[in-house]
Amino acid sequence: MLFHTWTFLLFLAVVLPVLFALRKTRMWIPWLLIASYTFYGWWKPYWLILVFYSTLLDFILVALMDHCPRERQKFNWRERLTRLRFDDGLMKIAFIATVVGTVVSLGMAFAGPQTLRPTMAMASLILLLMAVGAFSCNRRTWLVVSIVNNFAILVFFKYASFFTENINTLLASCHVAVRLPEPSTLMPFGAKYVLPVGISFFTFQSLSYTIDFYRGLIPRERNFLRFATFVAFFPQLMAGPIERAAHMLPQFFRFPKIRLQNFTDGLSLFLVGLFKKLALANYLSLYVERVYDSPRNFEAPELLAATFAFAWQIFFDFSGYTDMARGIAKVMGFDLMLNFNNPYMATGLGEFWGRWHISLSTWFRDYVYIPLGGNRRGALLTYRNLFITFFISGIWHGAAWTFVIWGLLHAAGILITRELERSAFYRNRVPRLVKQLAVFTFVCFAWIFFRAGSLADATLIISRIFTGAWHTPQVPVFMLLLVAAIWLYQFAFESHCKKFLETGVVRIGLAALMIIYLCIFTTEGGAFIYFQF
Amino acid sequence: MADEKPTPAPAETRFVNAMRLSARQWLAVAAIVMLVLSVTPWLWKKIERFDTGADYRIPYAISKDYWLYERRLDRLAPTDIAMIGDSVIWGEYVRPDGTLSHFLGEQSGQPGKFVNAGVNGLFPLAFEGLVGDYASAIRNRKLIVHLNLLWMSSPKADLSTSKEERFNHADLVAQFGPRIPCYKADFNHRLSVTVERHFTFMQWANHLQIAYFGQKNILAWTLDDEGASPPELPNAYKNPLQQITLTVPPEPAADPERGPASPRHKPWSTTGEGTTRFEWVAPDLSLQWAAFQRLVKLLQSRGNDVLVVVGPFNEHSMSAENRPAFRRLRDGAAEWLTQNRIAHVIPEPLPSALYADASHPLTEGYRMLAARLIRDATFQKWMTAR
Repeated sequence: MLFHTWTFLLFLAVVLPVLFALRKTRMWIPWLLIASYTFYGWWKPYWLILVFYSTLLDFILVALMDHCPRERQKFNWRERLTRLRFDDGLMKIAFIATVVGTVVSLGMAFAGPQTLRPTMAMASLILLLMAVGAFSCNRRTWLVVSIVNNFAILVFFKYASFFTENINTLLASCHVAVRLPEPSTLMPFGAKYVLPVGISFFTFQSLSYTIDFYRGLIPRERNFLRFATFVAFFPQLMAGPIERAAHMLPQFFRFPKIRLQNFTDGLSLFLVGLFKKLALANYLSLYVERVYDSPRNFEAPELLAATFAFAWQIFFDFSGYTDMARGIAKVMGFDLMLNFNNPYMATGLGEFWGRWHISLSTWFRDYVYIPLGGNRRGALLTYRNLFITFFISGIWHGAAWTFVIWGLLHAAGILITRELERSAFYRNRVPRLVKQLAVFTFVCFAWIFFRAGSLADATLIISRIFTGAWHTPQVPVFMLLLVAAIWLYQFAFESHCKKFLETGVVRIGLAALMIIYLCIFTTEGGAFIYFQF
Repeated sequence: MADEKPTPAPAETRFVNAMRLSARQWLAVAAIVMLVLSVTPWLWKKIERFDTGADYRIPYAISKDYWLYERRLDRLAPTDIAMIGDSVIWGEYVRPDGTLSHFLGEQSGQPGKFVNAGVNGLFPLAFEGLVGDYASAIRNRKLIVHLNLLWMSSPKADLSTSKEERFNHADLVAQFGPRIPCYKADFNHRLSVTVERHFTFMQWANHLQIAYFGQKNILAWTLDDEGASPPELPNAYKNPLQQITLTVPPEPAADPERGPASPRHKPWSTTGEGTTRFEWVAPDLSLQWAAFQRLVKLLQSRGNDVLVVVGPFNEHSMSAENRPAFRRLRDGAAEWLTQNRIAHVIPEPLPSALYADASHPLTEGYRMLAARLIRDATFQKWMTAR
């Protein structure tokens, strides 16, 4: 279900009144969960199996982790194995259950129905890991199981084709006859191999819970329904923001107080998001698609304009989604984190990542960059960590080399601006506007790799931009003016003109204008770009 | 990545623009928007020139402009008789002065009395929606309604097949029931169509796009490439506002597709006899017939004095063994009309050479049909009745 559809409006018209009616009962959490699962399962109900599985396993793993001591304890493994002597009764049950499960799933992996065998093989691996966790009563093992499980889901659905293709190409070039099977052949019961919407978001959110619990940052959530609602909370399930349990779970403890401001703020956020998506992103996509789908047909000005347009399209599309998500959550009394903070106003690449997809960049910072050592071990290791983090970030966005290059370009960009910022001249003498434009230009350049259909297309676009002809530019002025107006607004908002923008007349005028514009100009919009991630 | 301290949860919702409106400001916005949305279509009717001179019919290119259709009906004189129907009434192969409404006016000595309110490509299931949502202006009037049995000539034409079909005026058919099995639009599309049909401002916005921007969304129009290779964007530097000439596009002065000079304007066959075997749909199974029945009942409930003209279908095009089935169908329709005390005329088929296809007459065919109608006793009685 998409936010900008009448179906969603109808959905909300049912969900909200019932939610408010249930606010004094215990039923509001189950209702929110039902609403979230309905929202997610609207397109493909069987994707819910994946969300439910990921949620259930992480809930169980943390419960088991909670039964294990923080400090590693010595035990007699021979006695534990032969006499099943465990300090904790739950671990004993878990051990027996997982061993039995491993044997059964292994059996099915070898002798079960053909279409179930790959799934059972994977299940036996997870269960075996769990058996090891129960046997050793080791918190770290439970964490590993959670990481392996979530990444296995992610890798299979998102990257398996990419890896298979590349490895098979490599094997062929080495004249090895062995080939990896197509991932689509590994699906249980012959189900269709399709990337489930928002898989990267809910797996990351669920994973952050297990990691934070392992680190002792959050308490264990004992209510499964509450935890499931946290993972599947419908405003942010499909494209974030990727919330943390520490921020979000406490909001589900008791029904939030709803004030009039919840509605006015929620509506304000939703309107801006809707405008970004329907009036701007969808319009820009028409031009971007046309140019990027056949770059050979276009010359330098069109390619340049399309790259510029894509930079804004992806911003409007993604930030529009999160604005709407935050607005809907706000109406229900929940606060979702800020995900975009006018990123094209950034004066450095580091700052850009502090403003762009904040929930993801902080996720990578907290769970990848800092564990790798962060910036604590000297410049060289800092940059290594940076490159590793951005390599993973690139891959997170998509299974293609173009995304990897995009990520690495950003790592290089951060490195360069970080070094530049060390010089007093750059810090104090270079005007802010120049820095902003330089960062924007660099980001646009990197977007070429992000948007291009292939590496060959990306290089073609770059070479044409710099060497192509400027005969008869086919650049829609109306589109450029529209984007320029928004950019100008952002500059004004971050300057002393902010007070003028905050006056009642301007706010009322702009809101009315946006609604009327939406009524006249909008088309039925497609899905959001970030759904594919 | 530079800051290694975990980000604390924000105390309250952060805004990164100034668009945070208070309740009072939202009320003001609602008032402005309501005012604009309700006044604009009304004001537009006052300022947009809409030339509905002699024999006007909604041009083919803008036949999906239902807001304009409604406006057209709004402008009828009290004594005018609207003729509603599909392209047989509209005149698929003929010029505006070659239509049935033109000849009825001419031959009855009351030019302009019969108004061509036909819509190209309309069928009873869509007709029902058009009349239901866009034709309230013709309440309590005399109306001539055309029944084209072509829409029952096969399950496909009847829209009763289960295989998905794309058809004209899909936005006019009932979106949520009665069910049309071959119409497979998703739930959201059906919902948005239903909303649009009840929201005048959106109909007006649709009118803008159809009448001035070549049936395109205004934004899409700025990127229209007309399929040229290498791609060109002829509208890239045009001001969209300049497109809005405030004059509804008239019928093209010289339409190569229509009129006696057009290569399409010719008899359907050189021999005059055909062998087509239509798979007529039984009336109790036909969705189109059921829709037509509901349509006539709706018009009656609105105080309309309805005269139904059935056909005349081109029976020459059918094989001999196919004709009895057709006649049973036609007579069944007539029987239902009689039972429901609805005035109706079933003109004799025209000579074969006066048809352009299975149901559309040529200019001379319309002239002859008008003459027959005027001579018809039922027609005369209906015309003189108050």
